[in-house]
Amino acid sequence: MTKLGRQLGIGPTDNTSDQRTPRKRLRLIPEAVRESFVPVVPARAVTRQYEWDMTRISPDLPRADGDAIEVSGTLRTADGKPVRGALLEIWNANHYGRYRHVEDHSGLKLDENFFGMGRVLTDYDGTYRFWTISPGAYLARPDIGRWRPKHIHLSISGGPVRLITQMYFPDEPNNATDPMAILMGDAFGRNMGKPYATPDIDVDQGYRFDIVAGGRNATFFE
Amino acid sequence: MSEEQRANALLPTNEDTCGPYFPIYFGDDSLEDLTRIHSGVVAGASGQHIILRGRVLDRHGNLAHGVVMEFWQANAMGIYRTPGTEGHPDIDPWFSGYGRLRSHSGEYSFCTIMPGPAPGRAPNITVTLFSDGINRIVTQLFFADHPANDGDPLLLGLDPEDRDRLMARRDGTAAAGAEIYRFDIVMAGDNETPFFDDLES
Ligand SMILES: [Fe+2]
Repeated sequence: MTKLGRQLGIGPTDNTSDQRTPRKRLRLIPEAVRESFVPVVPARAVTRQYEWDMTRISPDLPRADGDAIEVSGTLRTADGKPVRGALLEIWNANHYGRYRHVEDHSGLKLDENFFGMGRVLTDYDGTYRFWTISPGAYLARPDIGRWRPKHIHLSISGGPVRLITQMYFPDEPNNATDPMAILMGDAFGRNMGKPYATPDIDVDQGYRFDIVAGGRNATFFE
Repeated sequence: MSEEQRANALLPTNEDTCGPYFPIYFGDDSLEDLTRIHSGVVAGASGQHIILRGRVLDRHGNLAHGVVMEFWQANAMGIYRTPGTEGHPDIDPWFSGYGRLRSHSGEYSFCTIMPGPAPGRAPNITVTLFSDGINRIVTQLFFADHPANDGDPLLLGLDPEDRDRLMARRDGTAAAGAEIYRFDIVMAGDNETPFFDDLES
């Protein structure tokens, strides 16, 4: 039996990936200690009442610039079980591609009506839903003209389920050249929101994003 | 998973980088100091207070700014709070064992209690790193000079240099009596910290 696991890939044209990706193969974990590598995130109900609607800072303030969208879906483990009460921490750039983050020095336009961060919990069926503004793409590497395609960041934690991922948008011109999308290869499609019409709610477009938490950790205690 | 379950398994969503802008806004003081619940509450974890301090470095020895670190450990009695230990008499109701912080600079400081040795193990803390440019990576730190290190199954599988790279080293005592330990993580390069594969293991 080999004692070595995966060799992590380095994102092409991604300087940070080059600087920070381990070069040695990962080590396999001996079975006797495997359980200790399963962090169990305690229930943390740190959401605020209006955070599910990121299209405005609060209900009494105007809508931010750009297209309002709904993102909804389920959170399940690979064996199909819904993950209940998991925390989704969500952040995305505004319509102009700017984050309201003190380390975003891009100089792109801030939108005074857009906060860009929100939290929701999955319900009993593992479903979730939030509204936000469709994010702008932003220039990640001005020197070579590489853009980051439109994307929404999601950090998901609940019990042994823990992943950070991004939802992408179909048919975006910059999808194909994104370093992380290249590393995902054919599996990139799993991270794509699937458009649906929203005739009855006050948003321009819906995207379905069903999330499956893979790996042994997610089902370790079942 | 059985073969049949494996064949029916849903395809996992790809993990992805957290990028450079993981919201500082999502920070939670109670996850950066596991020794107490809140300054206004008379409750706290049992055990010796420790402060873990260190740097997260990239391939060139530069600080890895903007990293998100998560910690997972047993309580002072060596018990992890998991679905498997529900109702265990040695569960500490004031200690979950899970911590999280985001470091602006790449230097970090995390307050917790010294984990007790779980059965068959040396005291350890699992550390998960998220950062721009990478997906989740994970390792486990130990406490230098602890006698149980010599028999720990994880450490025994590593060569001496790598074992050494997983050691937090004592670095004095803080004013309030917390023991200070230093632990640096090297994400890539010559002195690279060993990282473990929890997908293929
Ligand atoms: Fe981003």
